[in-house]
Amino acid sequence: MQHDHQTQPPPTMARTETDIAPPPSAPIQSLIAQDTSTKTHDPTLHSLALQIQHNLQYQHNWTSLHIHTHSPLTGSLLPRPLLSGLPPNRLYIHPDEQIELLKDADRARKAQKEGETGALEVKAEPEREWILPARLSEKWTLRRLAEVFDGISEVPPEKEDVDSEGKKGKVSRWRETKRVVLATVDTDSTVVYYIVQDGVVKPRQN
Amino acid sequence: MAPDTPPDQEPFPISYVAGRYLLFDPPTVAYARRRHNVIGVLIGTIPNLSQQNVFLGIPLELQPEEARVLVEQGHAYIVDDAAVHRDGFLEMSREDRLAYLRDMDEKGAEISREVVRRAKEKSEQALREKGLRPSKKINETTSTNADSSLFDADEQTGPVVKAPEKRLEPTYITPTTSYPPLSRPQPSHALGFPEVPKSFPLFRYLHGKGYFMMPGLRFGCHYSVYPGDPLRFHSHFLATGLGWDEEFDLLDIVGGGRLGTGVKKAYLIGGEEKGGKKKAEDILTLSMPSWNPALRPNKEDEKKPRVDVEPVRAFSIEWAGL
Repeated sequence: MQHDHQTQPPPTMARTETDIAPPPSAPIQSLIAQDTSTKTHDPTLHSLALQIQHNLQYQHNWTSLHIHTHSPLTGSLLPRPLLSGLPPNRLYIHPDEQIELLKDADRARKAQKEGETGALEVKAEPEREWILPARLSEKWTLRRLAEVFDGISEVPPEKEDVDSEGKKGKVSRWRETKRVVLATVDTDSTVVYYIVQDGVVKPRQN
Repeated sequence: MAPDTPPDQEPFPISYVAGRYLLFDPPTVAYARRRHNVIGVLIGTIPNLSQQNVFLGIPLELQPEEARVLVEQGHAYIVDDAAVHRDGFLEMSREDRLAYLRDMDEKGAEISREVVRRAKEKSEQALREKGLRPSKKINETTSTNADSSLFDADEQTGPVVKAPEKRLEPTYITPTTSYPPLSRPQPSHALGFPEVPKSFPLFRYLHGKGYFMMPGLRFGCHYSVYPGDPLRFHSHFLATGLGWDEEFDLLDIVGGGRLGTGVKKAYLIGGEEKGGKKKAEDILTLSMPSWNPALRPNKEDEKKPRVDVEPVRAFSIEWAGL
């Protein structure tokens, strides 16, 4: 072992400056670099939205993610680019809806034949969510949070250009308050997700 | 005591003592809890055994916010207890004072007689158990002793029978209520609104929605918010009141949200929305009539809103579970 060590020069010695090729850029870096959309906001806010979009798409398997720069209600500029997307599973179930779903599941189980002992299956279709990207270093106020909520509809439209009117038929009757998923990213690119609802909404009893 | 018994009248007085808002009357404590969602904290303990604090009794200390909503809604008024006592006792007439002292002496003597009677009963019982009948003579001596004043006691002890040399020691009573002897303080002498922290608008908003608030220190927030009486419900929210333009760190939101979700609650932040649209519930609070003449200088003002209530906007935060 000692012999091998002596024959191989230390790695730092072997490298010369010409050998160092620039490392390939990280996927998120190239994604931000390739972004050609028109910048309606501060470019850092655009790259923030892209970063969260990337995280949701590849780490949490979200689909049909869109970036919204304008309010679907008024058409005016949003305080910052927001995202909308569809999670793989339902993200939020209101406690009252949960009670209803459990009752339905219980009825479905009882309807099964005696021999089949099925588990309680709660069926909740995933719903589209609003996502508010933010950096941990930012300071927020209630006013800024309220401005975000004032600019959004209860359910995000499928695409930014499609107005929300056409989609109202699908809105669940449990979605009575506006909600966003607050995506907070730290400098080490850790992202945490919190559901923020507009108003006093009782908590889930998981 | 029936918990439904309302206090004699509304508004009821809240005693302001050394910066604290206190209720001393158990029916009022129960009434405030049942009717007005005001819980407070029992702080009464035994003066010499203050470490015996598992079960505390009256007085009930109200948070300034609780006292304030009661006053704003006209259910109560604040009384400066020190001033009321000083004035009340200094202005008390000589006859009233003597009558009260006589009354106290009479009650003290009553207690002494009761103590003597019990001691006698006990000794008789002990003698009976040993098969000895207490002689009638002793009985008579002690009974006359108890009834007569203490100065006669020495002369009555006979030389033949060894009578128990029990004197009727007067018992001194420490009065535990101020009303009586004083009459109930009147709303006309009430103090103004209690001073409240800046989280008060959120408190008032949640109180108006029928929630019960407890101090939130245990969860690092301003209020633990209960959907009903805390003896029957778990709390729903950990609430923190903020100014509309007060900056906060997202780390606080993450911390509060994560802690709240961990204990099946939601983190709630809220404050007065500057320039927001007033809703029906805000106007309801505004139209409350003023009971306090000090706060109602003329009839014109009665029609105007007494308290400038801005609408409150709140946000509930839970961990998304991603």
